[in-house]
Order: sequence, then C-alpha cells, then structure tokens
Amino acid sequence: MIFGIDYAISLFLILLAVILPISYGYILKFIIFLIALIFDIFAFSSRYYSYLVGPIFKSHSKNIILSNEDAYWLSASADCILKKVNDKFIATVYILIPIYVSSTEMDDEHKLEFSEKVSRAIGITKDPARFTTEVLIMNKDEYILELKDAIAQAENEIAQINLNKNPDKSRLDHYKGKSAMLRNLLDSMTKVTSYEEISYVTISAMGFKEYEAVAEAQQKARELISGLSTIFGVPISVITGNELLKFVEPEYLIPYTTMTAQMNKDLESKVI
Amino acid sequence: MMDDTTLIYLALTLVILLISFALLGSIAKGIYYDLALLFMFITALIIGVMSQIDYVLFTGLTSILGITIKPANNYMINKKQDAIIKNVNSLYYATGYVTANLFPYTFKNENPPEDDEERMAQSPELWENIVKSLGFPFKFHVFSIGLNTQSTRDELEGKRSYQEYQLSKALQGNSNETVITNIQRQIRILQSKIDTISKGEKPIATIMYIETTSVGISEQEALDKLSSQISSIQIAFSSFDVELKRIVGRELYEMFKFNFSLPLTIKDASDLFDQQQ
Repeated sequence: MIFGIDYAISLFLILLAVILPISYGYILKFIIFLIALIFDIFAFSSRYYSYLVGPIFKSHSKNIILSNEDAYWLSASADCILKKVNDKFIATVYILIPIYVSSTEMDDEHKLEFSEKVSRAIGITKDPARFTTEVLIMNKDEYILELKDAIAQAENEIAQINLNKNPDKSRLDHYKGKSAMLRNLLDSMTKVTSYEEISYVTISAMGFKEYEAVAEAQQKARELISGLSTIFGVPISVITGNELLKFVEPEYLIPYTTMTAQMNKDLESKVI
Repeated sequence: MMDDTTLIYLALTLVILLISFALLGSIAKGIYYDLALLFMFITALIIGVMSQIDYVLFTGLTSILGITIKPANNYMINKKQDAIIKNVNSLYYATGYVTANLFPYTFKNENPPEDDEERMAQSPELWENIVKSLGFPFKFHVFSIGLNTQSTRDELEGKRSYQEYQLSKALQGNSNETVITNIQRQIRILQSKIDTISKGEKPIATIMYIETTSVGISEQEALDKLSSQISSIQIAFSSFDVELKRIVGRELYEMFKFNFSLPLTIKDASDLFDQQQ
C-alpha cells in the first residue's frame, strides 16, 4: 500500500518534470525530479520500514511512538497472553518442560540420548513454536524482605530495652545476637547470586475473537504437551497466572529486591 | 540472500531510475543535467545498499538524529537500535539479542555419522559449561517451523541436480580445486538432507537466537552492561560453532514482538528475517 503510493508519486513527479514547460525554468524541473528520486527511495524502504511511516508523521519529537498500549494482556483463563494485531487477536501459551537432569550424572550414551530427545522435540510440531531455555536470577525478594523485617524488629527490641534504666542484659544479648545472626544471613544471601534454569515452549494461535484465539492456542498446546510428555517422560503443563511474567517481563529475570540488595553490597564493598 | 519480495521492490524502484535516465534530456540541461545524473547515481547507490544492509543505514540515521522508538507502553528502543529498555522503579533493564544459528545443522550433514554422534553427546556438557561460565540471565530460543515434507524433498532434489550440473561444467572447464571441492561439499550436504527426510525425519526451518537482559541505575549503565554481556555470550557460545551477530534495527523490534506473539506461518517468519540470519 505505502509502496504503491510512494511509487505512484515518484512516477507522477518524473512525468510532471518532463511535461512542465521550459518557461518555468530548469531549476523547477530539477527540484521536482529530486523529489521524485526521494520518493523512489521511500518506495524501496517501505519494504522494511512501512510500520514506521505513520508514526513518523504523527510524532512531534525524536521519540517515534509505535504504540502507547501495553504489549499484551492476560487472558481471563490466566493461561495465555493476548495481543491485538490489526483486527485479530493472537493468544500465546507458555508450556513448562520440567527437566532436572545434569550432564554430570549422565554417561555418554545418556548424553546422546538426551540430545536426540531435544532434537526430536524441536521438530515435533508443524505449527511454528519457540523452544526456550532461560537462565534467570533466583527470586529471593520475599526472603530478603522477611530478613530485613526481622532485623528491624530485633533492632527495635534492642532500642526498647536500652530505654529502661536497668536493661535486662540477657534479653539485650539475645536480641543483639539475633540481629547479628540475621545480618550475617542477609549478607550471605546477597553475596552470591543464585540462578535457576527453566525450559519452556511457546506457541501462538490467531482468532477474530479473543475466546477463539485462546481456544485455538489451548488446543495447540494440548497437542504439543502430549508429544513432549512422550519424548521426555515428564509431566508437562501450561504456565498460568503470575508465573507467566517470568518469561515475558525483563524485571522478572533480575528480581528487584534481590538486585538492589546485590547492588548495595557491591557499593559497600567499593566504598568501605 | 535477497527474498523474492525484496527483488520485486528493487526491480520496480530501479525501473524508475531507468525511466528517469531515458527522459533526462527533457528534464534538465547543462549543469542541471550533470547534477541530475549525480543524484540518480546516489539514489541507485542508496537503494542498492539498502537492499543488502538496510539495518546499517537505518541505525546510522537514528544514531545521528538521536531517534528513539517506543514499541509499547513502558518500553523504548535506544537510538543505536540495539537494545530495548524498560524502566521499572528507577532501575533500567536493557535487553539485547544475538543470532545463534547453529551451523552444525549444516556442518553435521557433511560429517560422517560417528562424528555427528560425538558432537551430539558433547552438547549437554558444553551447554552446562556455558551456563556455569555466564554470570547473568539469558535465554536461548529455537524458533522452529515444520515444513512440507514432499515439497522440501522436491526442492532439495532440484538444488542437488543444479549442483551436479555445476560440477560437470566445472570438471569439463578445468576449474580450480577449491571450486570443485566446494560444489562437492554442497552436493554432500543436500544428499544428506534428502537421506534424513527419507529416513522419516520431518524437515524444519529454524531461527535461533539468544536474548540477554542487564540492569543498571542509569540507562547508560544498563546499556554498557548489556554490551559486555553480549560479548561474553559471543565468546562462550563460540564453542558451539554458531554465528553470533548482535541484532539491530527492525529485526530487534521483531524479536521484541516474539515475546508476546509468534509468527503463525513460515511466510510471516521468513518475511521478517532475510538479512541478518
């Protein structure tokens, strides 16, 4: 469409430059010709960049806005994410493959067998599917926050005890010890970053209604699950709810509190 | 390798230049004629370069003009077009992509089966060594599309016949050893692929890529960390015989969209990736 418009404008301007009487001067003909060449370049670039044409004309700054909407939303059944493309809905299902084996516990025969299983799994479906192995930072956010709360509580107790004229020494020692222990625990938690590895498959389906796309994606997922279960011999399931965010949002790859605790630790080690 | 659609675009836009050249006498005279010729040459050059390496021109342009792109709410593609940035609670998350088309899928076909098996047996250990050596999050994606068995077989047989014709021409024409060896290698690969299909394996097309994310307290810090992570990935995965190129420009945007919806047909997918595969 955009190619056609640009191409027609280019052709029209060239013809205009030809038929324009010489009385208008060669400079005008030349300028029209130059504009025709620019439209010729636009016509070719529309092969790759037609998605930018509309937003470029609409934007009034150096930031071209392709979309102000969220990249996706969760389906009502909470087992797939949805995206609207033109007038169609695309539902995408994430399927977890729980494989917990290491090459260190395999002999050569098992290693070969495992690689063959992976190779077979990749070719299992005719529909486009994406097989992913993800290494992410283990989410210790909840545990770190619990530790921080416990430390604050212990320190609060110490402050309360110290307010007394005759503080209970044994209680004071108890809370000081508890605080020190929790701090050490927090230190060791943030000192080392722990990773986890997850394998999953993604498959998409299209529908003119939201429920159509979801039902189609669920059907494709069921077929894929039965094939993958046979190959790997493990219970394979669809990922649902908040768990999906681990595979979609970058901040779930590097959890916030875990990361800030790590950053603080790095900063402390540089400063102190 | 240029796809058919791009070839049509290229041919049609070059036709405009040919028409211009034919009519140039009626458009300009004297100095304007020379200038028009010069601009026609520049236009042909730009179109030619774009047909081969459009991402270099595009990223160069956005870098110079400082243009950023917002692909969705909360996300931004930087001006170098090599990372997608998300700001969450004043922390910047930068995500970048690297192609990782496993060349062994080509090479293994010309190797004897025992070597192939050896490679397959080594791969779990190689993978674990890579995971252990990389101290940051990353994702390895294999996007696969099942192909029609019969048409793939017919296509491969057609290519083999063409290579055999080339080989007979090379042998008759006393071509040098390198050319002959190269054609023989191509024939071996094609024959091996045909044999694999004959054994009952389904033919598939794959797009493989690696995604990594870094975090920083400023945009620049996140981008710097991302570049260093990508370099580490390129070093670590080199043991897998993979071609590791950082993805930039429009293909970065397509990769970003992959996280939320996949292409539904082989045509959709191949239209997106034709240059940087």
